This record gives sequence, C-alpha cells and structure tokens, in this order.
Amino acid sequence: MEFSEHIKTANVEDVVLRQPLHPPSRGTLCITGHHLLFSDREEGSSRQLLLLLRNIDAVEKRISGSSGTITIKCKDMRVLHLDIPGMEQCLNIAHSIETLSCLDGVAAMYPFFYRPSDLSLQNQWGLSSTEKYYSQMKELHNRWRLSSVNRDYSVCPSYPPAVIIPQNTDDDMLKKVAKFRQGGRFPALCYYHRKNGMVILRSSQPLTGANRKRCREDEHLLQAVIDGSDKGYIIDTRSSQQAQQARMTGGGFESKSSYSHWKRLHRQMERGKALQESLIKLVEACGDESHNMDRWLSKLENSKWLSHVQTALSTAGLLAECVERDGHSVLVHGSEGTDSTLLISTLAQLIMDPCCRTLEGFLALLEREWVQAGHPFQQRCAHFAYSHARLQQESPVFLLMLDCVWQLWRQFPLALGFSEALLLRLATEAYASDYGTFLCNSHQERCALGVTENTHCLFQALLRPTERDYYSNPLYEPTELAIWPSVHPQSLQLWRGFFLRWTQQARQLEEAQEEIRNMVIEWGKMALS
Amino acid sequence: LMSQLGVSDMREDVAEVKSINNVCICLFSDKDIIYICPFSGAVKGKVLITNYRLYFKSSDSDVAVMLDVPLGTISRVEKMGGASSRGENSYGLDITCKDMRNLRFALKQEGHSRRDIFDLLFKHAFPLSHGLPLFAYLTQEKYEENGWNVYKPMEEFRRQGLPNNKWRITFINKNYELCDTYPTVLAVPFKSKEEDLRRVAAFRSRARIPVLSWIHRENQAVIVRCSQPLVGMSGKRNKDDERYLDMIREANDTTKLTIYDARPNVNAVANKATGGGYEGDEYQNAELIFLDIQNIHVMRESLKKLKDIVYPNVEESHWLSSLESTHWLEHVKLVLSGAIQVADKVSSGNSVVVHCSDGWDRTAQLTSLAMLMLDSHYRTLRGFQVLIEKEWISFGHKFASRIGHGDKNHADQDRSPIFVQFIDCVWQMTKQFPTAFEFNERLLLTILDHLYSCRFGTFLYNCESARDQHDVRSKTVSLWSLVNSKMDIYLNPFYTPESGRVLYPVASMRHLELWVTYYIRWNPRIRQQQQSPVEQRYKELLALRDEYLKKLEELQLSDSSPSSRLANSPTPNTPSSTSSTPSQQYTHLQTPL
Repeated sequence: MEFSEHIKTANVEDVVLRQPLHPPSRGTLCITGHHLLFSDREEGSSRQLLLLLRNIDAVEKRISGSSGTITIKCKDMRVLHLDIPGMEQCLNIAHSIETLSCLDGVAAMYPFFYRPSDLSLQNQWGLSSTEKYYSQMKELHNRWRLSSVNRDYSVCPSYPPAVIIPQNTDDDMLKKVAKFRQGGRFPALCYYHRKNGMVILRSSQPLTGANRKRCREDEHLLQAVIDGSDKGYIIDTRSSQQAQQARMTGGGFESKSSYSHWKRLHRQMERGKALQESLIKLVEACGDESHNMDRWLSKLENSKWLSHVQTALSTAGLLAECVERDGHSVLVHGSEGTDSTLLISTLAQLIMDPCCRTLEGFLALLEREWVQAGHPFQQRCAHFAYSHARLQQESPVFLLMLDCVWQLWRQFPLALGFSEALLLRLATEAYASDYGTFLCNSHQERCALGVTENTHCLFQALLRPTERDYYSNPLYEPTELAIWPSVHPQSLQLWRGFFLRWTQQARQLEEAQEEIRNMVIEWGKMALS
Repeated sequence: LMSQLGVSDMREDVAEVKSINNVCICLFSDKDIIYICPFSGAVKGKVLITNYRLYFKSSDSDVAVMLDVPLGTISRVEKMGGASSRGENSYGLDITCKDMRNLRFALKQEGHSRRDIFDLLFKHAFPLSHGLPLFAYLTQEKYEENGWNVYKPMEEFRRQGLPNNKWRITFINKNYELCDTYPTVLAVPFKSKEEDLRRVAAFRSRARIPVLSWIHRENQAVIVRCSQPLVGMSGKRNKDDERYLDMIREANDTTKLTIYDARPNVNAVANKATGGGYEGDEYQNAELIFLDIQNIHVMRESLKKLKDIVYPNVEESHWLSSLESTHWLEHVKLVLSGAIQVADKVSSGNSVVVHCSDGWDRTAQLTSLAMLMLDSHYRTLRGFQVLIEKEWISFGHKFASRIGHGDKNHADQDRSPIFVQFIDCVWQMTKQFPTAFEFNERLLLTILDHLYSCRFGTFLYNCESARDQHDVRSKTVSLWSLVNSKMDIYLNPFYTPESGRVLYPVASMRHLELWVTYYIRWNPRIRQQQQSPVEQRYKELLALRDEYLKKLEELQLSDSSPSSRLANSPTPNTPSSTSSTPSQQYTHLQTPL
C-alpha cells in the first residue's frame, strides 16, 4: 500500500501552529506517511515539531473564508491548532491526517520503518520471558515444569509458547483444560513468592455454562497447585452476580462442590467500555478551559476514574494479602483474563516483590504480564479519549495500571527504582510508538509479522545508559518489605503529571523534579570522588 | 511517677519533657481510663495530666496507642453520660481539640475520678478563665538560640533598602499612641508629615493607617497595608487620606495606584452601615479591585465542615464532592489568587494598597503571601520567621482572639482559622515549587502545633502593645528558639536559592490539593508517605549536599579560574532538560557558602 495516495497536499507554507506551552509560530507544515512535521521559519530560533500521525486521536476542522483551522487532539493529551491558508489545502491536510492516523495494517506502521543510528536490529529483543523466569526461579523446579504445549499457539492463541504449570500435569491434560477455559487461557503460573513458596496463577473463566459442566483435568490441575496446603484462593474480578450471569453465555466460575479446596472471592472491577467512558469524562474535565472551575471536584468524582484506581489497588492489595500475609496460593481471573486479571497480578507483584520495583524489574514485569501474557494492546489502545469514531474494543486498562503504579510511587517515594517520567513515557508509547513492543494483540500476532526481527524493542531502548538515568529514581532505597498502599480516597490523587501534563504547572513541577534528580546525582558523584 | 508510666519511651522530645519537667506539675496520674479510639476501639490505659499536657498510654501492649496532647490544643471539655447512663463506655469525657481531632474517654462511675479529671483539665486547659498564667510563663526551657532576636524591624527595613528618598521611618507610634494594634516602627511616604498621619488615622478603622510592608528593590513599587476607610452611610470624604494615598502613588511615579479590597463587593458596601466602607471615585489616580475573599465566620464554618468529613471517620463514598461542599479549597484558591494579583501588580512596577475591614486577617494573608512570592528571602528558614513576625505578629493579627489561648469560651465568634489557612496556602506553594523553599513541611506542622500549645510566647496576645504589657519577650520563650536550635530537621535538602525569581503558583482548583498530612494526620489508616524513612533520607541528602559544597569550595580555593566562574555566576531560572550540561547542574547548587 502506498501512503502517497492519501497525501494530496504534502507541504503547506505559512501555517500558524498553536500548541500548549509555546507561543504561536509560523512555518511550513509537511505530511509524510507516518509523521506531521512542522518547522518554523524564524531564523536562529528554529523550532520543529515532529508528531507521529498514530499519536493523533481526533481531527477537527473549521473553515472560514479562504483559510481554515485544524485542531489536532493527540493520544498524549496534547491539543494543537494549525491555521492553514487555502481551503482546499486545509481539507486535504485534514483528510490525510484522518486517514493516515488510523490505518489498520500493522506491518505498515512506523515501528517497521524506524531505524535510528544508535540501535541495531541485531540487538537483543525484550528483557524477560517465561523461560527466563523459570530458569531464575530454581525453587520452582521440583513442583513446577515448563511446558511448550503452546509452541504453535494452537492450545491458546493469546498465550506465549512457553508456560509454567504443575509438574504432574501433562500436556494432554493441559489441552483439555484449555478447552474448558475461555480463549484457551488455562491456569498458568505468573509469580512465585520466594518468602513462602506460594504462587499466583492467572487464567480466564471456566466454561461451565448453564448446565454446570465440569472438567476433571481443570480440577486436577488446580488441586496440584495447592498440593500439601489446606486451600487456595480464587480472586474473580467480577461480582458474584456477574459470574452467575456469565453462565448463561457459556462462561462461569469454579463451584464450591467441584473445587472444594478453593475459596472464591469476588471483587467487581470495571472493565471495557465503562472504563473507556470514565477516561473520556476525566479527559473532558481536564481539558475544560472555562475559568469557572467551581465544579471541578464533582466532575472529577463523576468521572469515577479515581474509584477505578481505588478498586484496582484494593483488589491487588487483597491478592497480595492472600499470598504474603495469609500464605496461600491464588488464581486470578475475570472473564477473558486479558485485562483486569493482568492489572491486579501486576500490582500485587509490585506490592510484594522488591525485584519488580527496580527499573529493569518493572519493565520485565510489564513484558511478562502484559506483552507476553496477551493484553490486546492494538484493540485497547486504538483510540484515546478524544476520538469521534465509534467505540470498539478500546479500554484504558494499561493506563489505569500505570496510574495505580504512580499512586504507589507517590505513597512510597523511596521504594520504587524508576521515575514518574518512565510512567509518562510508557503511557505515551502504549498509544503511539516508534518501537514494536506494544504492537499487535498477542505473541502469536507479533511472531507472524516478525515484530522482533523488524522493529526495535522499547524496553531495551529505555535501558540504554543515556535513558536509564532519566528513568531512574535518584531517591531509590530498596526495601525487602511489602509496600501496602493506602486506598482511601484521601490517599489517592489525580495523576496530574499525566492528565494535566500540558499545563505550565505540570511543566514547572517536571523541571523541579529534574533539578532534584540532577542535584542528587551530582552530590553522589562528588561525595564519592 | 514519670518513669512508672514509661514516659521515657515517649516518641520524641524526651529532653524537652525533662526540661519542661522543672515546672511541669504532675496533676493526675496512674488512673485507669479507657480511651475510645475512633480507629482501634476502646483502649484501656493510664492517663497522666500535667499543667502542660495530657498523656495517655495503652496498658495493653497489643494495641499500642499513645496520646500526647498539649492542653492548649483543647477548646472544649464536656462530661458525657450521667449517673443513669447504661451501656458500655457511655460515661466519661468528651474533649474537642483545635487541631482537627476530638478525644473521648470512658471512666468508671465510682470514685469521682471523672470529676477530678474534668476539673483539672478545665482549669489547666483554660488557665486565663481561672486567673492562672499561660504555660509559656511557667516553662523554663533553655535554647542555644534566642528566637526573639530573629525579627528586628529596623534591620528588616534596611534589608529592603529603607529608608530612602521616597520612604521614611517614623516612630510616631512608639508608645502605641497613634494605633494600639500596630508595631512601633512604621515606614511611610517621605513627603508625609506626622500630623498627616494623625489625620489619616482618624479616617481609618482602628487608626490602622496605610504603611509600607514591602518595597521592590528594582522598580520601587510597594505593598502598603491598612484598614478600611471610615466612609460610612453618608459617604464621608477625607482629603488627607486621599492626599496620603496619592503620595504613595507618587513615590514610584506611576499613573495609577491599585487598591485591593480583600472583601467581596457586597460586604464592603454593607460595612458602610457600621461606619466603614471603601475608597470611592474621589480617590483620583486610584483603582479599586475587590478580591472576593470571605470573612472569618465563613472560614470558620468551612473548616468545621472539613473536620466533619475527616474526623473521626473519613468520608469514603463521595469524598471529592463532600470536599467540594466544604469550600475550603475554594477559599484557599481565592486567597492565593488574590495574592498572585498583588504580586503581579507590584512586580510590574505598580504600587498597591491592600486592606479588608480591619486589616488584620485577610490583609495579612494577602500581603504575606505576595511577599513570599516576590521576595526569595522570605522563602528561607529564617526569612519565613521574619515574615510571620512582621506581617502577622507585629501587625496585630489577633492570635489571642482567633485561637482563644487558655480561654474556656469555645463558641466565641472571634475564633477563626485564618492563620491555618495562610499556612495551607504556603504549603500549596511548597508543593508547586519543591525546590524554592529552604524549609520543609515539618516546619509548617510545627508552627501549627505551637500555634495552639501555649508553650511558646510567639503566638500569644493580639498585638505588640499587649505583648509589651505582658512582658512576652522577657518572660516567655520564642518558638524560633526551638526551631533555630535544631534547624536541620526543618530543612529541605532540595532547596535551590534563586534570588530574583518571582513565584506564581497556579491558583486553580485543578492544581490545589487538600493538605492531607495536616488535616487528616490523626487517622492512622490514611498513609501519606512513610514520613520517617523520607526524613531519614532527607538527612542523608543534606549530609551529601554539605559534603558536595565542601568539595566545591575546596575546588574553588585550589583552582580559582573555572570553578569560581561557576560559583559566582548568578542563578538563572534554568529550565533544565534531560541533557543538562554540567554547568547547568552547578548553577542549581548555588548555596551561600
């Protein structure tokens, strides 16, 4: 496919760009297959804006007389205005942006063309994998094994090729279990708690259906997990009513009679559309330019975003409590097991495990729990909160997770090895990126497109020496202790660094934090020298 | 008795307890009592009451509950339940505190122990109502530093470059004859004569004439403060007052003088009925702007509402809309945005006059916050003390009436959290500019604790004349003695002095936060930050910084050319980027060596 067929006007002179935090500037606008490029004409103070078209969520055009204004709302919350002379040019540009910003073909996306001079495609791709995790956790080996039953993705299309399962569960059994779980997502280990040997598994819902079907192999697998212990917990991220209702459409839950040693706990977490609508309301409130902000707190409350943050953190806290304090293994699932399941298993690991709190550890965690575990990034992050397109599968679960991590970071300013800048960067990259990491919906899809061979890995790039400093927390002091977040509404804050990031205020704070970072680094160097 | 009760494992200030102990009379101890803790339920323990504090410690080691409440913090003590009370723990005492908490104790009905405790608390929490001295007059604490020397009016005027050819210092009020709520040393327009001042005093509420608070070094614009003019229903005029304001304008040669009236327009109009009012059109070359800040009663009710939603139980289900309905943050916003307008006007070269009704509540908030924004000196640990001493204490913010030190009359209509609100505004600024203040949050908390404690003389009485009369400086200790004797715990390790920088905080609701670590600090379930590790880390960082500065100094001595260039370069407001060059990093670290 040629991009050029979508570009009727590639260059426009004498365009005025208005963007947050900068005075308006006049210059040349240029549209390429993947970018919007603006360079101002002022001598000496030349400024450029290079915007990935993929980053554009909505385009609005207003024609008046012989010129027009295009308003561009980005997925990183930036709102830009372009005053373009010439009605036709304006319409052409708007049309190009609209079309190119949401082309479907993954293989034509920018990561496949991005070739910076300081990165080589030969570099290692990724940081972690199931195999690596298994080989690091020697303690696992006598009771758990690495299975390659999914090597061709036929057992579970959204799982990676390797999975960790109980030693005495053979691959044939797994195939049967997979048939009993939605999307084939059978229970697999995602975390081993070294302190007490307990584990977290995740899966999708069992397909018990209206007539309460059972699956001996599924029951056997779960029994094997808690072998030698009195019980395990199942945290179902739906209310028990929702779980009951799921049976009508073929889903269901683990009944007490069939899984007598497992105790089910239901915690209703908002998902899908409701979450996306919450984000839309919040972003709308944040972008409200009117000076009458009397109702700001009510608007914030009405968006319910912070209550989703609260639910996520408290459910993750519950999960961590079961494992760390209560000393039991836990299976987590909702329905599909690709969204809220990943959200709470990620947060629980951060709460409990100091290894996940370093910069590398956190990125590796995200790689295992989101990228490899099959969070459908392409569907969930197709649009941000501005788009006029009809909502499909969009849902800001990953962003919600980053927000929860930010809350942890705020409550425990010394305990996490990475900076707020990392969370902001990840929030941006998930929606539009030069890198291949967040492309596609599953390992299988990435493999089919050769993502690892043909794109660069974001996580590797973030760990380059120049970047690493910027994304590290200079105040970091590792602690072995669990970090239990307070989830009272009074302890939770709007993540201003993200949601109000294009305000002067956020910029000032960012600068101050940067200053603090530099100070601490500089003192450290001097004091040691 | 003290050791018997394990007072020695009091969390902090053991040394202080001992020194206070010299005069600390143990009034009551060793009695079994039940503290009805809103978080842990009924807790058995022992109580110790001295003439300074109420101390409670749980006897059951499973629930470690400790209370250490200076009696000055108490606003009200009530008996709950009577002889006929049934039900568990329904007979006892209810104590209301000024610092966002209430305490409830249950006692046995037998043995008059409730009457004994009640009488003691009532007498010693409200000594002034019983003809007893405040605790500040009893304590004999000694400190290395004498905090009373922190603020010397003449020194502060000299620091600002006064007197000069436009402004003079007058001692007309040296015996508080002109204005009994003003300090003795005042700065007024050079051209004004003493008799002018007297005539102006007759036209200003409580004789609080317009006087200089602060002057801009470069553009000579000034902040002048006063009370409302006594215009009254008949719309009286006073030529002297009009001429006097014009002298203020002339002093830096601008075309217009801006008068900020802190009140809402309607309130200013209503004040005419009681003889007050505002500057009308007869004041030529002046513009009047109302800042819409509500009065002390509205602020008191607002904070009361806030207390209702955070203590003892925090509102959970509709937290944000409940918070909104207290309007507390909205009031904070209005005060801050008023101060921003004042600062902005002055920094663009225009002199301003600020007043409200009497000029001791909202006016103090506005002038002191504007000065904090304009003058980086006030953002240092000592400078901040000067700011409070000057704009609040010396200019007669009525601390005694607003706080009610030692007074049993808890429902007095004069009470109002105006100073708390000011400290809240300062906290908001420190949050928005984390490197601009030399002091940390702990200082703000300490100031607010001792606003009530009556252990120091700093916040006692309504004005300087009353303080003189009661020998506050000679007979009590200043809070700044405590602070300046262990300064390091109040320092912000990330402080980066930028002398010319004007701070404009964002006074939008979207950028203001509730000060949870103050208003909700009694709730153990609300974790803000792990305070102690952060403080520990701060101390380490301060040590690192000091070592860094020492090394830098050595470098300067050994090699004067490059490093001295770095060290002497001014500190521009450099927005640093990821790739900040070493020289940028150095400029961040300018600290007076």
